[in-house]
Amino acid sequence: MQESHKPDLEESLNVTESHDRMLREAAAVAREKHVDEGGREPVSLWIFGSCALVFIFAGLALGNIGSLGSLFDYDQTVKPGYVRLDLGGEGDAGPPPAEALKVYAKKGAKIYSKCQGCHGADGKGGGAYPSLVGSEWVLGDTQRFAMIILNGLSGPSSTGKSYGVMPAQKAGMTAADLAAVMTYVRNSFGNDAGDVVTVEMAEHALSLSGERPDPAAPVTAEELESKYLAPLEGEPLEPSTMIDPVSLQPVEDPAG
Amino acid sequence: MSAPSDSFSDVRLRSEIDRSLRHPVMFFFTSGAAWLAVAILLGIISSAKVHSPGFLDSCPWMTYGRVFPAHETALIYGWGCQAAFGMIIWLMSRLSRQPCRNAGTILMAGHVWNFALSLGVIGILAGGGTGMPWMDMPAFAWIPLLLAYIAITIWSMVQFKVRPEGHTYISQWYLMAALIWFPWFFGSAHLLVHGFSGSPLGAAGVNAWFHSAMLLLFFAPVGIGMAYYLIPKVTGRPVYNYALSLIGFWSLAIIVPWAGMQKLTGTPIPNFLPYLGAFAAILFAIPAAVAGINLLKTAASDTETVNLSPTLRFTVWGLVFLLCLGAASLVLNSPGVMKVTQFTIAGYGYDMLGIYGFFSFIAFGAIYFIVPRITRREWLSRRLIKWHFFVSIYAVMAIVVVTLFGALMQGVAQETTYDSLWYNAASTVFPYAVLTTIAWCFLLISNFFFFCHLTLMWLRLGRRSSHPTLLVHGHPDSPHGPEGDIDNTGTASAH
Repeated sequence: MQESHKPDLEESLNVTESHDRMLREAAAVAREKHVDEGGREPVSLWIFGSCALVFIFAGLALGNIGSLGSLFDYDQTVKPGYVRLDLGGEGDAGPPPAEALKVYAKKGAKIYSKCQGCHGADGKGGGAYPSLVGSEWVLGDTQRFAMIILNGLSGPSSTGKSYGVMPAQKAGMTAADLAAVMTYVRNSFGNDAGDVVTVEMAEHALSLSGERPDPAAPVTAEELESKYLAPLEGEPLEPSTMIDPVSLQPVEDPAG
Repeated sequence: MSAPSDSFSDVRLRSEIDRSLRHPVMFFFTSGAAWLAVAILLGIISSAKVHSPGFLDSCPWMTYGRVFPAHETALIYGWGCQAAFGMIIWLMSRLSRQPCRNAGTILMAGHVWNFALSLGVIGILAGGGTGMPWMDMPAFAWIPLLLAYIAITIWSMVQFKVRPEGHTYISQWYLMAALIWFPWFFGSAHLLVHGFSGSPLGAAGVNAWFHSAMLLLFFAPVGIGMAYYLIPKVTGRPVYNYALSLIGFWSLAIIVPWAGMQKLTGTPIPNFLPYLGAFAAILFAIPAAVAGINLLKTAASDTETVNLSPTLRFTVWGLVFLLCLGAASLVLNSPGVMKVTQFTIAGYGYDMLGIYGFFSFIAFGAIYFIVPRITRREWLSRRLIKWHFFVSIYAVMAIVVVTLFGALMQGVAQETTYDSLWYNAASTVFPYAVLTTIAWCFLLISNFFFFCHLTLMWLRLGRRSSHPTLLVHGHPDSPHGPEGDIDNTGTASAH
């Protein structure tokens, strides 16, 4: 291999012959044409014109313009006034009804994930934050508990110890959320209030909270003890009532 | 080429490059052709099941849900990718003017690729497929495939890096882009689907993007890059307008990564994604048309050579199919049409147009060009080449026309008869499925010619001659002189 690389330096070799053999063996390579430069032929206008047309088509699609550009439209695909057929099957009716306490607590457990950062997964607060387990303010009057959740708390807690300021949680919280998280806390971690804080009660709490003179300030122990020593108003709900897990409304005929 | 001595050292360099790559390139081409035969057989079976569901129905390994993905996997990763690897490593060496120093590693990685792919296809047939188009292989396969890919192509990147100073030819742009894009979309898509337990909807979105990227970001640039080499090389004419070729490349690079999600129209993914996907997929018509027109104009300057040369015949038809692919992108992805064709066989027709019509024809052209150079033998028979050419071209056209037209009929039937049985709409496909099966049978015949011919070349049983195998017999004015004289003087040196 080394020798044949340098045929010109090898005296015993006939240079012309070795060139010839090279060219014969690699004939396909030797006959290849060599192009050095790129062409500069003029590009016809119709090429650019058709590219512009393609752009227009693509733009219609991107902009969802006209019937040419619209990919998918529920209003067109689904007939007006369309109602899904009731096929009568079990699996078609959404999640099955369940006991009210369980439904509320299950929903509340998801919302509690926001509280978990401070009060802990076991509700005990871990020393730096107040414990929710067996707390009088949690298990006692529901107005007081609701006002703390909605507005936050500054100053001493139910044990008399001060833990700093708890931030208000009312931003984005619906009545159903509040009802669920209250029911969950009152019936978890060893707490056993055994009752359900209903959506109606939570709506009352939201309206009470809205009536406070300074809604931005957290409540204090003093304010709680003076104004909110009462249960939230609303029709009580038997914890074993079967309700729909989505609408939270009692189911008329649980067997159906 | 100024002086004869320059010319001689140039020939010697080029033939050295060819010799250095002969084992891996021949391995990729022959094993690719064998996989193509497997893919076509599986294609015949799966297509037959569309119109005759009772065919082979007693064998669970041969159910449609397994055979069809196995067919596509064998076609994409067995034939398409391996033909692309052969073309990439050879062309990058030639254009960077470097003999390959890692042929052994590449050959070994090629075996790893084949082994992993075989296990993957067996896994699909055994029922372990993922059900995601073009990502059907069970989860174990993608890491060995990616590693083998890197071991095969990294040397081409190195060669590009150490190339002699000067001009970077347009083919190198396309090849480098494909080399970088493939690990990007292959790795990220498989990692997102198999590596993280995301939502199935997310996996479907990633899969739709991957499917489009595989065709438009890997097979398209490799095919176009190869055509930009073959046509000027064989005709001896410069590229019609070189600046236009750069526009074509950069428009491909900018537009096409956004395409893919239009397949998920109507699913609960963010609403802008299908629109963006349709926008980019429609715009693919621009790079396709620019490259196709530029190269066809180049080839049109020498129609006589196009007729004579097997390489150019295949390549030019590959480019015609590229133009069709661009037009099909425009039509099939415009929202008005997509409503009709979204749930039809149109997607399959489009893929076949891209993989078999455009990419494979250019790959066949490249193989007819490269193999005589690396084996130092000429193709044995012009008749085999002609049969391969004519049978494939009619069969591919039949598959594409039949599936695209059948898809329109199917879609219209679905739209107009959705108050009656779905079966009625689906059964409009029946005659088109029968025709598709027949066309696949013809492709099997054409590939039989091709595979036998290539295997004979691989066994070094080609013609020992200094005259190329051209498609017209004994052309009196051929610049290569009269054909057919077997030249057995002189011994072939072993190196």
